[in-house]
Amino acid sequence: MSGRAGETRLLLTGWSLHLPGIEGFDGAPPEKAATVLGRKGLLYKEPSTRLALCAVHRALGWEPGQRATGSIETGTAVVACSNLGNVETVAKVTRAVEAEGGRAVSVLDAPNVSPNVVASTVALWFGFGGPNLMLCSGSTAGHAGLRMASLLLRSGRATRVVLVGAEPDDEIASILHDGPLRAGSACAILEPWRENAGRVVVDVGPGKPMPRCTVGPGGFDVKERWGDFYGAHGVVELALAAHLAVTEGEGRVGIGPRRPDGGPSVTVTEHSDEMGFR
Amino acid sequence: MAVLIAGSAVRTCLGSGAETFEGLLRGACGVSPLRYGDPEKLNVAHGYHADLADEPFRAGRLLAECLAEAVAQSGVDTDTQRVAVLVGTGLRELSAVERLALTGESVPADRLDFADVVARALPGVTDVTTVVNACSAGGHVLALAQDLLELGECDAVVVAAADAMTRSMLAMIGRVAEEPTGRVRPFDRDRTGVLLGEGAAVLVVVPETWEGPSLGKVTATGLSCDAYHATAPDIEGIARAMSDAYTRAGRIPSDVDVVVAHATGTALNDPVECDALRKVVLGGGGNPLVTAVKGATGHTSGSAALVNVDVALRIFASGEVPAVTGLSEPLDEATGLRLVIGEAVTARPELVQVNAFGFGGVNAVTLLERA
Repeated sequence: MSGRAGETRLLLTGWSLHLPGIEGFDGAPPEKAATVLGRKGLLYKEPSTRLALCAVHRALGWEPGQRATGSIETGTAVVACSNLGNVETVAKVTRAVEAEGGRAVSVLDAPNVSPNVVASTVALWFGFGGPNLMLCSGSTAGHAGLRMASLLLRSGRATRVVLVGAEPDDEIASILHDGPLRAGSACAILEPWRENAGRVVVDVGPGKPMPRCTVGPGGFDVKERWGDFYGAHGVVELALAAHLAVTEGEGRVGIGPRRPDGGPSVTVTEHSDEMGFR
Repeated sequence: MAVLIAGSAVRTCLGSGAETFEGLLRGACGVSPLRYGDPEKLNVAHGYHADLADEPFRAGRLLAECLAEAVAQSGVDTDTQRVAVLVGTGLRELSAVERLALTGESVPADRLDFADVVARALPGVTDVTTVVNACSAGGHVLALAQDLLELGECDAVVVAAADAMTRSMLAMIGRVAEEPTGRVRPFDRDRTGVLLGEGAAVLVVVPETWEGPSLGKVTATGLSCDAYHATAPDIEGIARAMSDAYTRAGRIPSDVDVVVAHATGTALNDPVECDALRKVVLGGGGNPLVTAVKGATGHTSGSAALVNVDVALRIFASGEVPAVTGLSEPLDEATGLRLVIGEAVTARPELVQVNAFGFGGVNAVTLLERA
C-alpha cells in the first residue's frame, strides 16, 4: 500500500528490543529464556532461536510464560533475519561426526542444521501459518526483511508480518564475523497501512518533513553505542526508532543516513503526531 | 497478473537443463559414491554430485554458471534495467563453516551468502537478497519475484537457487536411515530414504508485457507455513499452499494437467504429499499425471523447486512427461494418483503444478502455463 509518491507506508503495531546486558532494553540471555517463554519446549533450541522467540513474545505484549492457544493464524507471516544463527550447531555436529561418528549426533539437532530454523521455530511456537522467510543477507538482512515484509503485506500474502532479527555471539559466529558481535534480538510487527488504525507509521522511502532525530550514523549509532548485531541490526534500528518516536516522544525518527537525493530511508512516526489522532 | 519466464538455466548431476530433461526421459539416475566426508561415519554412501572438483564454495560456482547463462538467454540488460536478484538456498555455503570447524580455516561471514557471486556474474546488479528457506527456497523466491513485478518495483527479477552438500546435513540423513540409501526412489513402496544432490537453477522473470521470447508463464505461487512440526510435513499446511496458488491464479484443481511433485523418497514426505494431492487435487476434480525428479537428480535442496520449474517448461516444449526414476511399486497412499511409471507419457498440458516443501513446514506451490 502506498502513501505519498515513491513511498511505502505500513503500520507498526508492536515492537521490542531484547538486548541482554544493555541498560533500558535488557532481556533474558538465551540460557534464561525460560523466564520469558516458559519452561517447556526449549530443549535443543539454539541461542539465536531463543533470542528471536523472546523478542516476538515481548513484541506481542504477552505475559511471561504465556503460550499460544487456539488455531493457527494463517494470515500472519514471519520474516526472520540472522546470518550466523546456526553456525555453532553446524560446527558442533561436524566435529561430533568426525570424532565419534554420525551416531553421536542427536536427531533433535536436525532442524538446527538448516539455517531457516529461526524463522520456522517462531512460526511453530506462536502458531503463525502465513508465509515464512529466513533472510541471511549479511549486515543488510534487517533492511531486506523490512522490504520483504512490506512486499508480503502489499501483495496480500499476509495481513500481519512478524519481522524479527536475532544474532548470537558464540565462538564460531565471532570468528566468521571477524570482529566482536553483540548477541541480541528485536521484533517489529507490521500491518498494512490504514487510516487512524494504529500507533506507529513506517514510511519506507523518501519522506518529508525531515525527522526530528535519526537512528544511524550521525544520530543514535547502534553499532557504536551498543555493538554489532550484524544480521539483526536493521530490525534493532527499526524497533529503536519506534521506541524513540513513541516512548521517548520524538514523534518522527529517521533510520539510516539520509542521502542527498532524499532516499531510500525509513521514517518511523508516532501515529498521533502524523495524523492528529490520539 | 501472471509473469513470464524469459530465461532458464540449470545444473544438476546430469548436467544442464536440457541434459537433465533428456536424462529424465531415458530414466537416468545420477547417483554416485559420496565424494565428501566419510561414508562410514556419516552412514551415507552415495550422493548426486554435480560436475565439480572438491573445491570450496561449490554452490556459488554452480550458481555463477546459471546466472550468466539464464540472463544471456533472456536478453534482459542488467546494467540498464531495474533488475533485482533473489537467491534461494537451503544450506548457503555452510560447508565453509564445517571446514572452519575441522581445520580452523576461516572465511569472512559474507562469503556464506551469494551477494559476491552475483556481483561478479552480473556486475550491474546491486539489489541482491539471499532467502534461506530450506528445500522450498526456490519456490519462495519465485513467489516474491512475481510480487515485485506485479507491484512495479522491478523491470525483471533474476530468480536463483543453489545448493551443495554439507556434512552436517548428510549426518542427519544418515542418522535417520537404518542403513545407507543406495538411490532415491520417490513414491516407491520400497524407498529407503533421501540422498542429497548438488544443483543450481536460475530463471529470469519478466512482466506479461514482455515482448521478447518466453519459455512459459508463471500464473501464481502459493505460500504457507505448517506451524506444525520442525521436520515432519503437515497435510493442512501443504493444502493451504495449494489452495493459495489456485486462488491467486484464478484456477481450480481440475485445471491441472501435470504435477511435478516434491517427492523426496522419505517416509515423512511421500505419504503426506500423496494424501495432500488426493485431498486437494483429486478431491477438487483433478486427475493430473504426477511425475517427480529426485530419483534422477537427488534432492537438490533449495534449488529443487526451480529445477522442477525448468522440467515443467521442457514438458510444455516437448510434450513428453518423464517417468519417475526409481519408482516401480507405488506406496499405498498413492492409490488413485496417475504416477508416471516406466516410460515417459506423451501429453500436451496447459497447466502444470510444481510442489516444494521444506524443513520447518515451509511450502511453495507454483502453477505454470505454456507461454
